[in-house]
Amino acid sequence: MLSNNSNSVVVLDNGAGYIKAGIGGDRDPKIVVPNCIGKPSSSKKFLLPDQLQSHDDLTSVSIRRPFDRGYLINPDLQKEIWSHLFKSLLHINPNNSSLLLVEPLFNLSSIQRSIDELVFEDLGFRSLFVADSPSLVHLYEASRRPDGLISRAQCSLIVDCGFSFTHAAPVLQNFTINHGVKRLDLGGKALTNYLKELVSYRSINVMDETFLIDEVKEKLCFVSLDVDRDLQIARKTGKDNLFKCMYVLPDGITHTKGFIKDPNEAQRYHSLQDYSSTLLPGTNEEVGQLEISEKTEDRKKIDLTKNEFHLTNERFLVPEMLFRPADLGMNQAGLAECIVRAVNSCHPHLHPVLYESIILTGGSTLFPRFAERLKRELRSLVPDDYQVKITTQEDPILGVWRGGSLLASSPDFESMCVTKSEYEELGSARCRRRFFH
Amino acid sequence: MEHEEMSGGGGGGGGGGGSLRRTSGRNRKVASKMVAALASTDNRTQAALARLEALENDNAAAEAAIEVNYIEDDDDSFDDEEDDQVYAKRQSKNTKRKTRQAKALDAKKAPRTFMELLHEANLEALPPHIPSYLRAAVGPPSSTSRRHFCAVCGFTATYTCVRCGMRFCSCRCQVIHNDTRCQKFVA
Ligand SMILES: [Zn+2]
Ligand SMILES: [Zn+2]
Repeated sequence: MLSNNSNSVVVLDNGAGYIKAGIGGDRDPKIVVPNCIGKPSSSKKFLLPDQLQSHDDLTSVSIRRPFDRGYLINPDLQKEIWSHLFKSLLHINPNNSSLLLVEPLFNLSSIQRSIDELVFEDLGFRSLFVADSPSLVHLYEASRRPDGLISRAQCSLIVDCGFSFTHAAPVLQNFTINHGVKRLDLGGKALTNYLKELVSYRSINVMDETFLIDEVKEKLCFVSLDVDRDLQIARKTGKDNLFKCMYVLPDGITHTKGFIKDPNEAQRYHSLQDYSSTLLPGTNEEVGQLEISEKTEDRKKIDLTKNEFHLTNERFLVPEMLFRPADLGMNQAGLAECIVRAVNSCHPHLHPVLYESIILTGGSTLFPRFAERLKRELRSLVPDDYQVKITTQEDPILGVWRGGSLLASSPDFESMCVTKSEYEELGSARCRRRFFH
Repeated sequence: MEHEEMSGGGGGGGGGGGSLRRTSGRNRKVASKMVAALASTDNRTQAALARLEALENDNAAAEAAIEVNYIEDDDDSFDDEEDDQVYAKRQSKNTKRKTRQAKALDAKKAPRTFMELLHEANLEALPPHIPSYLRAAVGPPSSTSRRHFCAVCGFTATYTCVRCGMRFCSCRCQVIHNDTRCQKFVA
């Protein structure tokens, strides 16, 4: 089954949340699997990522990840996952393959050392190139539009909202400007956990349901354009509450997957775009009464044996955390300010062009209205004579991988790599110097 | 109805109401962590730290519980021997049934956390012009004006709990807060 192709480059975007892996030159990765092993309550042993993905009952999964806070801390577990992936899913032999590995920014040298060991000594790859995600996203977007600003100015600001953190990273001439990078310690994982908390406090304990709540988050959360207004709408009753919807948890008998009870109901918030901005919130007293009547209504409707819960303001308060972490008890600047600080750390000549070439990537940028909200917030922080232009990648989950695939198929790729014999001669630290300026 | 349920869970000392499923024991474990954090000098800082920790956590409050499960469960699973005692116990058991992976993992010590590795990297010692993980942190917001959301219902909150610093909007939410999550659940 192993490929005999002696020129294959394995492109591996080894995210803390998902592994994207495939062959350089292809448009899409061959596999996208969670970077973890897990033991569902219905299984006696831990399942590897692809087994986990195809397992039909993902309730109460105990999860173990090789990553902690966005960085690889368990190379042994990563090795198990990678070995399985290369052998059984990609069907490649490391001995005659090169590896393009995407690594998080500011990786620690002790972690880099253990990765190099893993790549060369344990798995035996022929050669290695390490890239970071902002430069690959820039490369991909620049190549898509050779006449566009990003390509002409050779400059962009990549906002990567990943699993463990969010980076605002200026890129110039295909290199990430490290001294300009700003990091927000919030990503998709914290958002899922926040949603777990909210649901667990308010209706039903879902603290162990990572996969389920991930799905709820992806399907039902959105970014609010006016939080105060939307909070008022969220406490209305009946049809006036455009956010209220019901999610049904798996019961393990008739359905092993959770589902949205009424998809039309869940989409009603889209009508908000036409909503008059003169909407008047009721007085506090009125609202209080409405709330009480809402509770009596709910009492009749919710059948706890069915394990369903309703969502209202959680749908936008969860992504809100990225924009205003301080509102939710975290002493960090929000995303817009993070971008402004990244830009301000660069040469003033670059400021206008950076604001005009913001690219969003990473799974958490997929929430509806993410870019719109970010633009509004940036507009109020950025000098008036600068344009703010935000582009979301066509596929924010695969964008980094596609950039890697492009780089791997360039003619001088092999010359950029560190070979196994160079590694053996020079060691990790000296080889690493070649990858970043 | 949320109210009824929450007070059911809280009134039972975290014992779990009807719909609060089998995880209630685990909640208690985080609760004890939380109480320990709160017992230290700066309650609110500690609560905020515990909160960030909670948002990082995969298996809910189950970290500690997982170790326990490993001893009780059958051998065909990966190991998680963060605790040397657990490790020793496992060693003495029949290893024939272990998977290859479990054996491989058994051979190594438990991985260190990123915070431990970061501490060891001693990045503070780098000269200030060298970019690093520490210098890339965005830092606190420039504006001190904050909106506050009720920890119970999510609406705009004007009151602060004197014990843990969480926010609530009304007497009713305060009662729920005190009964069910103040210093009990993750902050
Ligand atoms: Zn409240
Ligand atoms: Zn409190």
